[in-house]
Amino acid sequence: MLEGAELYFNADHGYLEGLVRGCKAGLLTQRDYSNLVQCETLEDLKIHLQTTDYGNFLANQTNPLTVSIIDTEMRKKLCREFEYFRNHSLEPLSTFFTYMTCSYMIDNVILLMNGALQKKSVKEILVKCHPLGRFTEMEAVNIAETPSDLFNAILVETPLAPFFQDCMSENTLDELNIEILRNKLYKSYIEAFYKFCKNHGDVTAEIMCPILEFEADRRAFIITLNSFGTELSKEDRETLYPTCGKLYPEGLRLLAQAEDFEQMKRVADHYGVYKPLFEAVGDGSGGKTLEDVFYEREVQMNVLAFNRQFHYGVFYAYTKLKEQEMRNVVWIAECISQRHRTKINSYIPIL
Amino acid sequence: MGSLFRSEEVVLVQLFLPTAAAYACVSQLGELGLVEFRDLNASVSAFQRRFVVDVRRCEELEKTFAFLQEEVRQAGLALPLPEGVLPAPLPRDLLRIQEETDRLAQELRDVRGNQQALRAQLHQLQLHSAVLGQGHGPPLAASHTDGPLERRPLLQSPGGPHQDLRVNFVAGAVEPHKAAALERLLWRACRGFLIASFREMQQQLEDPVTGEPATWMTFLISYWGEQIGRKIHKITDCFHCHVFPFVEQEEARRTALQQLQQQSLELQEVLGETERFLSQVLGRVQRLLPPWQVQIRKMKAVYLALNQCSVSTTHKCLIAEAWCATRDLPTLQQALQGSSSEAGVSAVVHRIPCRDMPPTLIRTNRFTASFQGIVDAYGVGRYQEVNPAPYTIITFPFLFAVMFGDVGHGLLMFLFALAMVLAENRPAVKTAQNEIWRTFFGGRYLLLLMGLFSVYTGFIYNECFSCATAVFPSGWSVAAMANQSGWSDAFLAQQPLLSLDPNVTGVFLGPYPFGIDPVWSLAVNHLSFLNSFKMKMSVILGVTHMTFGVVLGVFNHVHFGQWHRLLLETLPELVFLLGLFGYLVFLVAYKWLRVTAAGAASAPSILIHFINMFLFSSSPTNRPLFSGQEVVQPTLVVLALAMVPVLLLGTPLFLCREHRRCHSRRSPQPDKDTARLLDLPDTSLASQGSDEEKAGCPGDQAEAEFVLSEVFMHQAIHTIEFCLGCISNTASYLRLWALSLAHAQLSQVLWAMVLRAGLSLGGEMGVAAVVLVPVFAAFAVMTVAILLVMEGLSAFLHALRLHWVEFQNKFYSGTGYKLSPFTFAVEGE
Repeated sequence: MLEGAELYFNADHGYLEGLVRGCKAGLLTQRDYSNLVQCETLEDLKIHLQTTDYGNFLANQTNPLTVSIIDTEMRKKLCREFEYFRNHSLEPLSTFFTYMTCSYMIDNVILLMNGALQKKSVKEILVKCHPLGRFTEMEAVNIAETPSDLFNAILVETPLAPFFQDCMSENTLDELNIEILRNKLYKSYIEAFYKFCKNHGDVTAEIMCPILEFEADRRAFIITLNSFGTELSKEDRETLYPTCGKLYPEGLRLLAQAEDFEQMKRVADHYGVYKPLFEAVGDGSGGKTLEDVFYEREVQMNVLAFNRQFHYGVFYAYTKLKEQEMRNVVWIAECISQRHRTKINSYIPIL
Repeated sequence: MGSLFRSEEVVLVQLFLPTAAAYACVSQLGELGLVEFRDLNASVSAFQRRFVVDVRRCEELEKTFAFLQEEVRQAGLALPLPEGVLPAPLPRDLLRIQEETDRLAQELRDVRGNQQALRAQLHQLQLHSAVLGQGHGPPLAASHTDGPLERRPLLQSPGGPHQDLRVNFVAGAVEPHKAAALERLLWRACRGFLIASFREMQQQLEDPVTGEPATWMTFLISYWGEQIGRKIHKITDCFHCHVFPFVEQEEARRTALQQLQQQSLELQEVLGETERFLSQVLGRVQRLLPPWQVQIRKMKAVYLALNQCSVSTTHKCLIAEAWCATRDLPTLQQALQGSSSEAGVSAVVHRIPCRDMPPTLIRTNRFTASFQGIVDAYGVGRYQEVNPAPYTIITFPFLFAVMFGDVGHGLLMFLFALAMVLAENRPAVKTAQNEIWRTFFGGRYLLLLMGLFSVYTGFIYNECFSCATAVFPSGWSVAAMANQSGWSDAFLAQQPLLSLDPNVTGVFLGPYPFGIDPVWSLAVNHLSFLNSFKMKMSVILGVTHMTFGVVLGVFNHVHFGQWHRLLLETLPELVFLLGLFGYLVFLVAYKWLRVTAAGAASAPSILIHFINMFLFSSSPTNRPLFSGQEVVQPTLVVLALAMVPVLLLGTPLFLCREHRRCHSRRSPQPDKDTARLLDLPDTSLASQGSDEEKAGCPGDQAEAEFVLSEVFMHQAIHTIEFCLGCISNTASYLRLWALSLAHAQLSQVLWAMVLRAGLSLGGEMGVAAVVLVPVFAAFAVMTVAILLVMEGLSAFLHALRLHWVEFQNKFYSGTGYKLSPFTFAVEGE
């Protein structure tokens, strides 16, 4: 892209940017949350959501409300918005959107493969798949027995194909291998996405690169955390880390050697960005989990993305914020339906 | 005073509604539309209110209604508008409606489900027969002739060893857009251990759910081996293909086909029966739904209103607070008694005092509505302040007409508006949805008056499509001039221009009886004559209009009992305005009346006089207009300037003194302190004083909020605005001149360049007649498009501005809010 893309950004993407900013203004506010928290039943929750931008998205539900209905309907709504953006987008924004859907596609593929492994019916699992990551060949995933099978037969035409280059192996698909496959896919996906944003340059790179760097590092931390006490070797572990984050290369090498949470924390202490995050994590009984802390940081970065104009990051940020909002609503709804009100306030506020 | 002059008296009433009769009372109030409920539960969130359960029930019903409505719409039917009076249903009726609705919805769902199931079945049958009908013979045999199969020539003869292997078939149909992907996936997944043939179906099939026609693809896959078969089945499953059993023998296939066709015929019959029943059910829905929808909407509105009431401590009645016009109080009382009589306990209304500013209620009829709309667009009047609308009824069309003066154009506009007024009761006109049309239609009476006044000013300007009309004989005589000055034929031939001298006896016989003398339209100095006239006219109209505005302020002050403002604001304002610009008007009128043609050569210039008036000087070349002018002019200027400090300081100082007096009366204070308060208008002191007062008499909120600096600031702004405004607003009225000039010039251009050019073509009779048709068409179209619509809009806009800015800022604050009564009446009817 040439310098000064601001000049013609609006010609191609101005409408969508305006739209997404409008949508962002419709995110639930702190007041909405404090109202939602007070709800006694899911019906109350619904009434409250009706006064927000969700409108009567639950109006056509004749069956009694459950959390999963709320969740699916919210997802559907997000999906409608996203499809609208995507259908009206021009290159390179449409490629950007494709990259955004890839992560959901990876999740769906892995979910289906796991399901196939546990001999569950496809229909049962399809319900759980994220609508943003749907693609036609998705349901055929379970006919594959090895990753190369999977690649050659099914995914070769999907946007996921390029990410498969690194993870072709003749291993059978057992649970561990699927998890490794997921992480490898994710690694190459994040790196590709990062490269795309970097090459795009401009404000998009300035906004998206830090977000993706954070995402990469978060994955590295989470992989490390989850691999404690599993049979995953340290060398294997290192190959799973996305290499586009701030941790690369020193931090990743150290992380690969880490053996427990304390050591991991020591690695994070070398980085000004992650040190406060790890310090915020509460110990065992109370306080926040590492995941929540990461979510909070993510929300923060995504909100800040809206401070700049003329870049694609707003779309990414909006989708992520909306996802967070959905997680929050689902959390609150769960707390309400299970009458577990003590923890109802531990949603992640979107400022 | 009538209600149009100022908004009606509105009081806050408290309604005690016995619990048993509350619903009936509020529903009756909704029918009447008398009162505006105040929300007494603003702090309670929506789902914690008393009648939330009932509201929710109504919503449930509305949801079912939405379902029924959608079904009716899908069937391509329209819901008729409900007729007759439909009161809000009694709570016990709700149950009946709910039951019936549920039954209807259930019935509809059943029938619809049946129909859909049948359709799906039929669809399946049709697909099946299509599959069977298309794949004649095993594909291997056909592959030599079939086009699509030739893509894989390598596989056609898989070699000897496989000849004896059993070939299996999978036949089915797939949606067209998935066909290509399916084919590729099959190929990739099975590595060519199969042969697939895809074909489009001959006829389109309707989708059983959406009813959209689509051409499905049928396919026939032949394969070897069990594993491949399982894979193929999985893949076809994942693409949601319809797979049908495929018999190899052609004979068997044919009989199966026949059976299928037989079945589908039967099915179609059943389907037809179902659809007949469905249309019956839909007919019932069509009949029942609209009244229910209205009723339930009313019911919901009633419950929402009841949600705004608070509950009395004894739980025996609901207490509502509402704004109601004093005039409507008896009606309100009657209505409440009427609807609560059944319950035994009567609902009670009583007025309660209130500090809040009541809402503004001005009743309009269809004539005054558009004028009130013009005023309200600027701002809804403060409670009981003077309403500019009645004056606007005349001044607005008049100022518009000053800019739009042309008999022809005015007449066209008048006739257009008259047509709308005469047709206003026709239902087709009323229900027209076009937004532009509705705008014009809403302002039809405004247009009518605007047209009428334009005709009048058109006569004054003596212009009809830019041509002068000679209704009366002209006051000027060319013959007299020619005779007196002895113009010879040669002289007449040489001179392109001849001047008429009014001083020569017999040439100027006297003013034209009405408007501008038509002889001026022939004169070359027509424009400069009209300019002088229109400019002076604009100033006169402007000053009169503004003075009228200031005078209207008097009614406000009198009504609100602010007598001091009469003396300290209105009087200085009037003196300032009239002393400077009123005097200018006087000069203009005086010169018109006193300076005759005889003295024209030495006529004094008003402009120079007016400038000199401010400079306190006089120019020797400019004759005074009247004796004593040297004394009058400086006196007026000094008087006007002296009014500025009065205006600036009068009200604040008066308020300050009032405040201090009331203050000292309540809590006597040392004199020294109050004296200092007056000497030093210091904010801190003032606020300190007010703080003390707040402590002393906490009830009197309005007094307590008195802050001297704020009052000063407000008055300073007002003074500056008024004094500078007098000058700029007077200049602003010159737009009357400018726009009327522009209109006259434009219409003249159109006349001279288009129609007259066409008329003066001459030539033979036939040619001129043929040419005149397009020329007149162009003239007519341009007259309507440019002169009527465009110029009309611009003149309208300027008239609007003159009213909003120049006129209304003299007296109108427009900071009120409208009374929006709780009513069932639908907006816009």
